[in-house]
Amino acid sequence: MHWKTRSRLTGWVLGTVTIGFLLFQWAPMFTMFTLSFAGETGGTTFPMNGVSLHWYRNLWEADLFDDFKPPMLRSFLLALACSATTVVLSVCAAQAMRGRFRGNGLYFYLLLLGLMAPGILVGFGFAILTRLLGIEGSWNTTAYVVHVSWALPFGFLTMLAVFNRFDPKLEEAALTLGATRVIAFRRITWPIILPGVIGTALFGFSLSYDEYARTLFTAGSDGTLPLAVMAQLDRQLTPELYAIGSVTTAMSLIVIALCSIGFWLRARALRGRPA
Amino acid sequence: MSTIRAGSPAAFWLALPAGLWMVLAVVLPVLLIVWVSLWGGQGVSPNNPITFDNYARFLANESYRWLILDTIGQAAMIMAITGVLGYCIAYFLTVKVTSPGWRIALFLAFVIPFWTSTLIRAIAFVPFLGVNGLLNQLLISLGLIERPIQAFLYSRLGISMAQVSLYTLLASGPVVYMLSSIPLALREAAMTLKAPPIIVFWRIILPLTLPGIVIGQVLVFLNVLADFITVTTVGGNKLAFLGNLILLFYEGSQIRSTAVVSVLLMILMLVGVTVALRVVDIRKLGS
Repeated sequence: MHWKTRSRLTGWVLGTVTIGFLLFQWAPMFTMFTLSFAGETGGTTFPMNGVSLHWYRNLWEADLFDDFKPPMLRSFLLALACSATTVVLSVCAAQAMRGRFRGNGLYFYLLLLGLMAPGILVGFGFAILTRLLGIEGSWNTTAYVVHVSWALPFGFLTMLAVFNRFDPKLEEAALTLGATRVIAFRRITWPIILPGVIGTALFGFSLSYDEYARTLFTAGSDGTLPLAVMAQLDRQLTPELYAIGSVTTAMSLIVIALCSIGFWLRARALRGRPA
Repeated sequence: MSTIRAGSPAAFWLALPAGLWMVLAVVLPVLLIVWVSLWGGQGVSPNNPITFDNYARFLANESYRWLILDTIGQAAMIMAITGVLGYCIAYFLTVKVTSPGWRIALFLAFVIPFWTSTLIRAIAFVPFLGVNGLLNQLLISLGLIERPIQAFLYSRLGISMAQVSLYTLLASGPVVYMLSSIPLALREAAMTLKAPPIIVFWRIILPLTLPGIVIGQVLVFLNVLADFITVTTVGGNKLAFLGNLILLFYEGSQIRSTAVVSVLLMILMLVGVTVALRVVDIRKLGS
């Protein structure tokens, strides 16, 4: 959009506000990142007392008490499972919405409800449910169910948006040429919606990996990474926490970067193909 | 014709798993909370008598009543700040930035932190706001203050700064969406008819972006009400809002009180969303 405006002043004021906010938004993360490289005698704030990888080494060689590796592995596996489940359920649900079954309006709101309901209520309610049923909470059972319910609305909306922009003529062509519905879906629909599916998988992974409130109530005794981080924060704030924070943040950024590059390469390849 | 027939049984069966999942993991738990909040008796069992005593007892406590108001006040304040800030940023990014490269770069700088952990972002505010923190160092080196300000961390000011940083994107995103769907011709028509910029904004741009503003405000409202992570990490257990009270009661195994606070929180949220829906029709947004 190009709007020619007479007022340069508004531009400057709004620009200053925007840049100021962006700096404010990034500064804490930058502080944490810098302090994670503090020297051995460095504390949780400035001065850093030298530059070292001491806290990262601590993280790696941690003892039983503050070992972040098992929770990290649990978080990773849980996020993978959540991501896979979210993809399957959201593609099915969005495809079903195209079939305009009875009650699809209500169904839409049912899935949207998961987006609106705060984690603290969902987690607490699910904890009551499992307690009444006599089920022991665990990161790979109860927490998994709740995590999927959190990622599912995001995946569902993503897939709905993808199917909205989808040209049904392509499927029609395949069906007219004698393909069955299943084959048409696999050979025509699936490759076209694939970028959306990858986006959904990303949502499923990162929403589960970072989730705290829902896990807190449902994970039982073996916690995930956010729970371990919060427990350590309760005991003592150490630069180790900055190190783990920097590691997970860097991981998120790398995944986003890889996916963006993937999308970009794909878009370029599709453009380059002769019509 | 598409890969799925309208009204076919296949559509129903495809929709069923996700629907059942949401009923089991969201609807049923929320209904259970309401039920448990009405339990009399002592134990955790479905045979408890139904009573409103839990609510009466909770609301009879003046400090709890004050806490409810305080939570609403905090939400209102964060909504106001993020609303103005978010609109300014959305307007700048979509309207004022003309170079596509710059727009993408600024937009990414705005959105990327949202994809990282909220908990980690909240913790990062501790070394940023602390006595020797980056913010104090910066203010001192600029000569604006002489001594570090202690009140940044473990205070309402600190919590609010963190919440503004975390939630401005929620207020801004829907506005960006609405702004970028305004046809250029509308504005040009107004300009041709010699409307001054402020009138163009007030009579055309603002009403057209109103649904975006309202949705952003709802998102911020819901998030601030339920936020307990920022309050514990940046507030250092010195302050509590309704979300923290839920956690506190739960850790003390007071399941009825937890449920009561949860239901009150739910009511606040439902009222907020209902008010918002009266202002704009969300279903019209898709078209």
